[in-house]
Order: sequence, then structure tokens, then C-alpha cells
Amino acid sequence: MSVKRKIITATAIGALASVTTGPAFAQEAITIASWGGAYQEAQRKAWFDIVEEELGIEVLEDTTSGAADVRVQVASGSPTWDLVQQGNYTCALLEKEGNVEPLSPEVLAVPGIPDSMKGDGWIGNLVYGAVLAYSDEAYPDEKPDSWVDFWDTETFPGPRSLRRSPVYNLEAALLADGVPVDELYPLDVDRALDKLREIKDDVMVWWSSGAQSAQILQDREVDMAMVWNGRAQSIADEGAPVSITFDEQVVLSDCWIIPKGAKNKDLAMKAIEVMSRPEVQARIALFINYGPANLDAFDTGVIPEDVAMGLPSHPDNAAKGFVLDAKYWAENLDRLTQEFDFFIQE
Amino acid sequence: MTAQDVMVVSGTEPRNERALRRQARGEQGRLVALSVPAFFLVGALVLVPMGWLFWLSVYGSDGFTVENYTRLLHPAYKETLITTFELAFLVTGLCVLLGFPVAYMASQLGPRWASLVMLCVLFPFWTSLLVRTYAWLVLLQRRGVINSWLMDMGLIDTPLKLVHNFTGTTIGMVHIMLPFLVLPLYASMRTIDMDLMKAAANLGASPVRAFWGIYVPQTLSGLGAGVILVFVLSLGFYVTPALLGGGRVMMWAMQIERSMAVYGDWGAASALGVVLLVMTLGILWVLRRLTGASAGSGGH
Amino acid sequence: MKSSMTDAGATSVGPAAHAPDTEHSLPISVQSLVKSYGAFRALDNVSIDIRSGEFMTLLGPSGSGKTTLLMVLAGFVRPDSGSVTFGEREILLLPPHKRDIGMVFQNYALFPHMTVAENLAYPLKLRRAGKAEIRDRVERALDLVQLSGLGGRGIHELSGGQRQRVALARAVIFEPRILLMDEPLSALDKNLREQMQIEVRRLHEQLGITTVYVTHDQREALTMSDRIAVINDGRIQQVDEPRDLYEKPSTYFVANFIGETYSLPVEVSGSSVMLFGQPIKTPAPPEHGDRHQALILRPENLHVFEAEPDPGMNSMAGTVRQHVFQGDSIVTYLTVAGDREIAVRRQHRSDETLPAPGS
Repeated sequence: MSVKRKIITATAIGALASVTTGPAFAQEAITIASWGGAYQEAQRKAWFDIVEEELGIEVLEDTTSGAADVRVQVASGSPTWDLVQQGNYTCALLEKEGNVEPLSPEVLAVPGIPDSMKGDGWIGNLVYGAVLAYSDEAYPDEKPDSWVDFWDTETFPGPRSLRRSPVYNLEAALLADGVPVDELYPLDVDRALDKLREIKDDVMVWWSSGAQSAQILQDREVDMAMVWNGRAQSIADEGAPVSITFDEQVVLSDCWIIPKGAKNKDLAMKAIEVMSRPEVQARIALFINYGPANLDAFDTGVIPEDVAMGLPSHPDNAAKGFVLDAKYWAENLDRLTQEFDFFIQE
Repeated sequence: MTAQDVMVVSGTEPRNERALRRQARGEQGRLVALSVPAFFLVGALVLVPMGWLFWLSVYGSDGFTVENYTRLLHPAYKETLITTFELAFLVTGLCVLLGFPVAYMASQLGPRWASLVMLCVLFPFWTSLLVRTYAWLVLLQRRGVINSWLMDMGLIDTPLKLVHNFTGTTIGMVHIMLPFLVLPLYASMRTIDMDLMKAAANLGASPVRAFWGIYVPQTLSGLGAGVILVFVLSLGFYVTPALLGGGRVMMWAMQIERSMAVYGDWGAASALGVVLLVMTLGILWVLRRLTGASAGSGGH
Repeated sequence: MKSSMTDAGATSVGPAAHAPDTEHSLPISVQSLVKSYGAFRALDNVSIDIRSGEFMTLLGPSGSGKTTLLMVLAGFVRPDSGSVTFGEREILLLPPHKRDIGMVFQNYALFPHMTVAENLAYPLKLRRAGKAEIRDRVERALDLVQLSGLGGRGIHELSGGQRQRVALARAVIFEPRILLMDEPLSALDKNLREQMQIEVRRLHEQLGITTVYVTHDQREALTMSDRIAVINDGRIQQVDEPRDLYEKPSTYFVANFIGETYSLPVEVSGSSVMLFGQPIKTPAPPEHGDRHQALILRPENLHVFEAEPDPGMNSMAGTVRQHVFQGDSIVTYLTVAGDREIAVRRQHRSDETLPAPGS
């Protein structure tokens, strides 16, 4: 009896859904796939609602777990997503592979987004940083504030953690070895690996997920780590004696791409344009601990000053670090990952 | 009634021969028909994907290529392969060392106690792999239960490095794999006639000699099954080494995942899969020969 | 050694009497053995002496304690108290592998991962015999049990009878001076069992080894043994030669257990015995004076007459119920004194006419 009713309800909803997306209906729609969870909820409130209002379209949502989804959709010939969120260098990678639509000049012309955060087929939307985080209990007096300090196991003894990936470890190693920020790219890989070799024994954990990096800091499995600022911030907010410094941070951006062959690519293009505007970009900081990719957003007055100071893309913080060269990594990821794997296992 | 009818009935020719043969053929046909779904299942779920896997590894966008295999010559892959097999061997060996006494004890107990022991052995099966793995972190990490306890007791001054390395990975994997060894071993031990041990003692064998010379050879089939299960499953392990290995323990499965998720390189991932498959089959073949030979010639 | 042997009450030596060969056999003396499992007494103060070279059968129903006694001898059951000596040596405290006795198990307990020859060689290897000696003795043992040429066979390739022979050969190949057998023939079918009974007996005579044989099959016990110890409720009921046991059972249990019997109540007063109010003649006066005792009848000792028999014979009136044809004999079931059933067995002769049922 109840089973029957459920089926009927489900059928009714299915019918409704097909009507909404059907061509006979006046309102148009795009489908955006992002990381889901609190992250996507914040995007909905900060951006998607504005897009619906501004363009008079409906924004349908889905979730993605990475580049593989996009590749599969593009390979299928008819992607169901019109706009997809990806992590920093993956956008450049997908562009290099030819899996994205080139962005319109209007989108790329939106002021405020630095050139280092966009390519021909992708544009940054959220900024976070790979920062140095440390335990206040381990270092109560003098605080580490540079990669030189991270490498200085005499002054700052204790186990460390780095991400299990060559990306931004090589940069940090070169900075610790005295390479100036503006001469980092192209990376001197051998020099960077030699430098990493110096602290290899002190790196207790090569973390592979954000949750893991937070856990080892919280449990004091390590005393110092290079982690994403949001992860360290959230355990600090919960009361863990953990601090972060934006000094020499690696500024990273998540980004939009339009899968090659997307059905509503023109609408998607318009949506990106709307979401890239400074005043819209700024809204994201109100809902989640990430900064806007558009640096002009900090001049809109939308973000309260105390919140702004905690964001990696705040001009003061951004100035302390440098932006990851996503194009470089898109070119070299496979080769350098092999090198790095070998380094880890040697 | 004609004369011919009479002859048939009178039995100068074998009676019902044709009909009986037809019946036998029908039965055979039905048996063949019954196995058709199995053939399709094996074909669709095993042969086709494996063939496809192999095809992907040798056929790229520019036609046939061995590139996916030559890239595996990079020393990083060699190291990964060594680590993978090293870990699988170590885990299998430890599972045998730990599992044998457990299975033996359970097989010697009365049914009630035996089922209690087996319950304990199986208990980990009902907990999520992730939960178990994180639980090991709580126990093993620098400020974990074991290190705190040892330091409080004054047994050590600096914490032992129990996790985020090969040691921690091994501990976690042994814990997960143990039931796979104990179950078939226990099953084979249950069937061993304990009179054989009495006979051995009666013939003059000390308990130790009887155990090694008579009991252990009887367990080889169950032990072999368990060893192969544990070994093959260990080769494909992913989650535990990733969480307990501290990023140092690189398994073959991680390379496959990375090839797929990060680079989207089906060819590379397929080649990795083919190599693992071939190596696994090779090892299985050797194991089979070893255990088969020792089971057949135990007394020589 | 001989001084420790005591006469256990038998008046004559068994049919296969031979000089006790102390080189190949030892006497066994069991004294006051007690074994309890909780409230259950498996062995209740058991004492028995087994002569050197004797074939002694422990006979009893299941649960009687006969197997427990054998297992105590083998060392697999630890008794509560008592003493067991082989020759003059107390062995109760020795572990099984130091007792140096051969044993044939009920299910043979052959090692399935070894060939026939390897099974036979096992006890020799444990005794560090040389390779040539092992080969030689395995060969001879196979000859002994008529399995020459089967040394390379796997255990699973053997028939039940062949396995039985291998088990026998393995139990004696290291020349133990005592051989224990735990219902070794119970798994064989009837024909094979009878054949193996002869075989086992032949082997015993050939080796002269002191043998303790456990069975619940009284026919087997009667066929094979020099002497039989009937055990029930953890106690030895009677130890005697087969013939004496059959003809002169000393307890009601033994009488009922050995052979086919029917019992009728009798009243005893003094030396006279009354059956259904009629006095009957007995071969010997009753052993004790209880008023109510039992008369044990064996079907083969009775006869059916249609006419009034000789007044000199013991007789009673009865009604024929049924004749059962059993090939070599015919059993006639009768009711006497209203509701008591007895049976009469006689040799089958084809020319004979039987009294009709109901008469």
C-alpha cells in the first residue's frame, strides 16, 4: 500500500522535472557541478541565487569529485554539465587536454582577477592558500614564519608534514633554499628535491587529504605543516592551539571551466561573467572561509574588515605570498609526480 | 497387428533404445543450457573487461603503442612494485604467524567457545574499514594510546614511530586481513581427524614432531587458500596504506588511481592494471606449485 | 616377571596357548584403576591381568568403559588413580609417545598426506632407523599383511580392507611388545570383517604379541580371543575363556550379553528350583540363596516336541507363534506361561515338517 504510494509520488516528481527542463517551458536553465557540501551551499547563497535573478534562468546543481568526471562527460559527446568547479591546476590541465570551451573575451575582461588566476579556458573564482601552520604548544615563544624556518630543525625541532604531491612542495623547498619568489618558475626540480631531501626524515606524514592534514595537527602528530588555510583555520576556531602564517603562502585558486560541447555554454559564459564581478565575488566570504579571486572585491565594502584580514586573497596577505603557476603544473604534473614518487620511496 | 510389431515387442531388438538415448541427449542439452548464463556472466564480467583493459594499454590515440609500458620503466614504478609485493608478503607472513594459533585454538575448543573466538576474529568485518584504520591512528600515533602508556611507564623516552610508515601500514593491514586467513584455515582444521595426532604419539612422535610432521601438512590446503586470499587482496590495497603509511608507502593501486583521477590517462592506468594482473598470476602460479608440491610429497 | 602374573580365575589356558615370549611381548597388569567424569564413573576400580602374548578382548556395550580402559593403556586418558604396569615397569606416568605400544584405531588414523610406505616408515624414522633398514622392514611388513607392491599407493586409493591391513602393519612394524586395537573392524562389511578376524588372529599367532582388543561385537570376541573381559558400568563383570563365558556366565548381565538368551523367573528354595510351579533339574545348585532368580535359556539348547517328551527332561508347555527361516537354521518363537516369549533354534533340514503356528 505505502510502497505503491511512494512510486506514484516519485513518478509525479519525475514528470514535473521533465516539464521544467522541457523546451516548451519559457525559463532556461544551466547545470553547475561543484564540490558539494557546505562549500556548494555557500556558492548557492553567494552566487547562484544572484545568477538566477540576474539572468532569469534556473541554476540546477550537481556535484563532482574531480577532473575524471569532466573527461568522461566530454568523451561521451554530450556533457550534462554546463559549468564545473575544479581545483587550481586541474583547470589548466583540462584546458591542455582540450576538454574545455574557450572563454569569451567578456568573461576574461572582467577586471580584478589577476592573470595568474585565469587561462584561455578557465578562470579563478575562490582563493585559498597553502600556508605554514604550527602548534603553539610546540613553539610557545619564537614562531616560524618562513620556509627557511620550516627547514630549520634546530630552532624549531619536531615532526613536520607536507602534502604528498610535488605541487607547492617544490616551490617551498626552493624558497627555503634562497631562490627569490620571482625566479621560482620554471622550477629547478633537482635543487628542490635536494632541499626536500634535507628534511625528509623530519617529515613524519606526507598527507593526502585535507581532513588528514587537520587531524595530524589537531592530535599533535606533527608540530608544523604546510596545509590549506581553511583546514588549519577550522581546527583553530574549534580551539586547537594551532596558528597559521600567510608569510610565503602559496596562493591557490579554484576555478570554473565549461566542458567541451556543453549544451548551454553561452548561458554558462554569462553566468561566469556575473559570478566574477567584484561585488558578487565578495559575497562568498560572508558564507565560507575562502577569499574571492577578484581582488577588487575587497574594495566593495561587502566584506567586513576582520573577516577580510583572515582571507588568503586579501591584498595584504596575498602580497606576502605568490600565486601558484597553474600552467606550469599542467604541463609538468605527470613527470614531476613520478620524480616526486621516486624521491619519497628512495 | 503386423508381424513386425510382434518382433519388436518380443525383444529381439533392444527395447526403448531410441527413446532412452533421446532422453539422455535432452538431459545433456538442458545442462548445457543451464550453464549458458554462467558463460555469459564470466564473459561479460571478466573476459571482456580484461580484454578491454589490455586493449586500452596498447592502443592510444596514435595507434598501437608500448609507451604505456615503457613509462613504467621509471624507477618510481619499480620502487612501488617492490613496496607492494614486500608489503603483501610481509602481511601474509604475519597473518600466518598470528592466524595459525588462533585458528588452531578455535578448532580445538568446544562449539560454544569456538564460535566465540570466531566471532572475535570476524568482528572487524562488521566495522567500516575507515573506522578501523582511524582507530589504529588513535592507538599508534606519536601521542597515541600506546606511546603515552609506554612513556608513562618509563619504558621509553621518545615516542616510537609506530604509524605513518611501513610499520603502521603493516599493523593495520594484518588486522584487516587476519579473518581472510583464519576462516579457511579454521575450516580445514575442523576437518582434521585428531586421532591422527594420537596415532602419531602412539607411534613414538613427541607432540612437537607430531604437530609439524602430521598436523601441519593436513592444514596446507586451508592455509594455501588463506595465504592466496590475503596475498592477492593485499596487493590491491589502497585505503590503509594511504592513511597509515604517512604518504611513504606507495602501493600499485595508488598509482592506478592517480593515473586515472589526476591525469585521466586510461592507457597508463590500464598498463598498470595489466602489469599487476600478470605479476599476481605469476606469483599465484608459483605458490600453487609450492603448496601443491609440499602437499603431495609431505613425507619425502 | 612371571612372578607378577596372577591367575585371574581361569582354569585353563586358551586355545592358542603358546609359550610366553618375553622378547616379543609383555604382560599387562592393571590395578584399581579409577576414572570419573564428574559423577559418572567410567572406570570403577578396575583390575585385570593380561598374560604375556595373550589375545585379550574387552567386550561390553557402548559406554561400558572398555574404550576408556584401552585409552588409559595407550596414554590418551589420564585416570584418577590406579596402576598400570607393562612387565615390571609402571607406565601410567609416561606420555603416550614413550610407551612403545602399537595401536590400531577404529578409523585407522592413517596419515592421508603420506603413501602406504611412508605411513609404515613413520615410526621407524622416529626411531632413527637407517634408510636401508626402513626399506627392508617396510617391505616385510607389507608382505606380512599381504599388500606387497602397494607401498607407493596413496591412502585414498585403498579399499577399506586394505587400509585396515596398513593400519595393522603400521602398528606392529616397530615391534612393540603390546598391541592395542580399538574396534578395528567395525567399519568393514560383514564378509570382510570375518575375513579380517581370521587375518588379525593369524597375525597375532605369528607375532606372539600381547594384544588388547576392544569390541562390542560378542561374536567377534568369541571368535578371536584367548580370553574375554566383559565390562559393564565401568566394572569388569567376568574374565574367562570364550567357551566358559558362554556356558558359565557368572552374572545375569554376562548371560544376557553373550549369545541369544531368554530369561524366565524361577523360585529358589534350598537346592530346589521351581519354574512356573514345576521343579526343574539344574546342572549345578544355585550359587546363592535369593528366592527370586532367573533361568537363562539359549535357543540352540531347546527342542520343540509336539508330543509329551521324556519325563527325565526339563520341559514346559507352550504355543508356537512363528517360524523364522534363517538359512542354516530355523528359529521357532513360542509363548509359554501365557505371555512369556522364548525361542528355539534348530538345524534346518529340508525334509522336516514344522508344527503349525498356533499349536
